[in-house]
Parts: sequence; C-alpha cells; structure tokens
Amino acid sequence: MHAKEMLKQSLPLLIFCGLGGIVAGTTFGVMTDIIQNIPGLIVVIPAIIALRGNINTTFGSRLGSAYHLGIINAENMWNNELKQNIIGSLILSFLISIIIGILAYVTTILFFDVHPDPLKLISIVLLAGVISAIILTMMTIIIILIVFKQGYDPDNITGPALATFGDIVTMFCIFGSAILVEGIM
Amino acid sequence: MIYNWKKIVRFGLPLLTLCIIIEIFAGQILHLGQKTLVVFPIFLISIPVINGVGGNIGCILGARLASGLHVGYINIDFKDKKMRENLIIAILMGIITYVILAILIYFIASLGGVLMGIGLIKFISVILGTGVLLVCIISLASVLTAFWSFKKGLDPDDIVAPVVTTIGDTLGIILLFLFIGAVGI
Repeated sequence: MHAKEMLKQSLPLLIFCGLGGIVAGTTFGVMTDIIQNIPGLIVVIPAIIALRGNINTTFGSRLGSAYHLGIINAENMWNNELKQNIIGSLILSFLISIIIGILAYVTTILFFDVHPDPLKLISIVLLAGVISAIILTMMTIIIILIVFKQGYDPDNITGPALATFGDIVTMFCIFGSAILVEGIM
Repeated sequence: MIYNWKKIVRFGLPLLTLCIIIEIFAGQILHLGQKTLVVFPIFLISIPVINGVGGNIGCILGARLASGLHVGYINIDFKDKKMRENLIIAILMGIITYVILAILIYFIASLGGVLMGIGLIKFISVILGTGVLLVCIISLASVLTAFWSFKKGLDPDDIVAPVVTTIGDTLGIILLFLFIGAVGI
C-alpha cells in the first residue's frame, strides 16, 4: 500500500475518531462542577478510559482472530469460546478498576496532601469500570455480528469503531457513576 | 477450546497494571492543572481529542510498519525510504487532523458559551503546538518500538499499540499545559 492510499483511507477515519473525541470531551467539559466536588475524580479519568480501550480492543482483536481461525462465525456465535472471552474481560475490568481506585487514592494523598473519600472514589471507578465493560462488550459482539453478516474482515472495523464509541460510553459511565455515588453517599 | 478466562486475566493483568500506573500519573498531572481546566473548559473538551488522535496515528503507523517488517519491504534501518515515507505521511495527517478538529472544537465551545475570552488564533496555536509536537514524538516512538520489538523476535502488532497510546495520554496532557503556559492563558 502506498503512502497516498494511507492518507486517503486513514484521514477520514482519524477525523471521525476525533469527532467521537469531541463528544467525549464535551461530557468532560460539562463535568466541571462534579470534578470540583469530588477530590480525586479527575485523577481516575485517563486510567478508566485507557482500561476500556485496552480491554475492548484486545477482546475485539481476539474475536477477529477466532473468526479467522473458524472458531466462531455468524451461525455459531454463542459458544464457550465467546463466553470465556466475556468472563475474562469482565473479571479484568473488575480487578483493574479496584487497582485504579486504590492507586488514585494513595497518589492523591502523597502528591497533593488532599484526602479523597476512598470508599466514594473506589465505588465510582468500580461502577464506571464494570458498567462500561458490560455495555462495550455487548457493543463489540453486536459490531462483530454485523461485520460477519456483511462478510467484512472484523480486524479492519472493530479497532477504530471501539476506540470512538469506547471513549464516549466510558465518559458517560464515569459521569453517571459520579452523580449516582455522590447522591447516595 | 483455545480461550480460557483464567489465561486472559493472567496475561492481561501485568501489562494493564503497568499502563494504569502510568495513566494515574497522567491523571495527577490533570489534577495539578485542574484549576486552569475548570476555568477554561474548552481545554477539557480538547483533551480526549488530542490524546485520541495522537494514539490513533501511532497505532496506524505501527500497524503499517509491522506489516512492512513482516512482509519484508521495510528494513530495520533509520534511513529506510519506505519507513521515512510512512513517518512523514503520519505526521502530515496529524497536522491536518488537528487543524480541522481545533476549528470544530472552537466553534462548539463558542456555541456552548465557554470561550472565556480565548481567541481563535490563540486556541489553534495551543492545540496545533501540542498536536504537532505530540505526533512527531509518538511517530518516532512508534518507529523505535516497532523496530525494537521486531528485532527481539516479538510481534510489533502486540506491542506498539499499548506503548504509543500510553505515551500519547501522558505526553498529550503535559504538552497541553506547557503550551497553555507558553501562549499565556
């Protein structure tokens, strides 16, 4: 593939992903009040977004490989291979969310001598991490299913699609969890 | 059965934990600049865009270099013509994307009434300064990581993406604050 083709094929996709970034960023911009009210909340945002990006793109690319290997296809989606992948992704999200909450709490005290409410912070991360995991896992499966039915290669589609929708869904989940936890506690 | 949830968790946990530790530092830098960000939400809107576009360009370049190295039309040589061509196009794509998205963000912020007296030229200077420097560093990091991993007998496809997205998130935020300071906002 020549460099000119790279420009032609990737530039529209890049700008499309950037538009998704603007939607995620606008949610971030609307959150200023709650960011000020909950110390430590701003610290967890890059980590949760990165967690989602990493877990879902690897999930998507494993499903892509499984498709190429003939383990799953449009007629035979809901088998044990897919279930193992779903359970693995959800458990990883759960564990890493707890690590994010604890790390954010400890480093905020160490660096800024600000004391966030540890229970509140960890609950927000856990809630946002797990809910976004469930939503995006379902989205990945739906995207893969559509891609299969159309006969495209999932490797070319799932990555950018998940990157774009992943940030938006995750941002909404953080915002929603923060409001919910702040309301309850 | 080739997938097992325990294996997915065991392989995923170490690399993800490492990424999360670095992302928490990115979060603490956001925390450090929280006051500026709350006063000027236009920069909160920009953060997912800056980081997302940077990471995407690094990933696209990395995937292209990986294919080139696997097939053999790119050699591990910093004077390699095909590599340089890809590198230049990646940086060029970054510049075009950042200009378009900066204008869009400015337009959306002015609709939302959150410009806070920042002029278009000043805003574009900050985003473009951050963006151009970020794509240059990410693209070089992508080349270095692709060459290094290929030399070590690892698959660059597995390594480049997590490395460049983590660099993108951390460096994007640091550079943004540097340019906000340099422009005098």
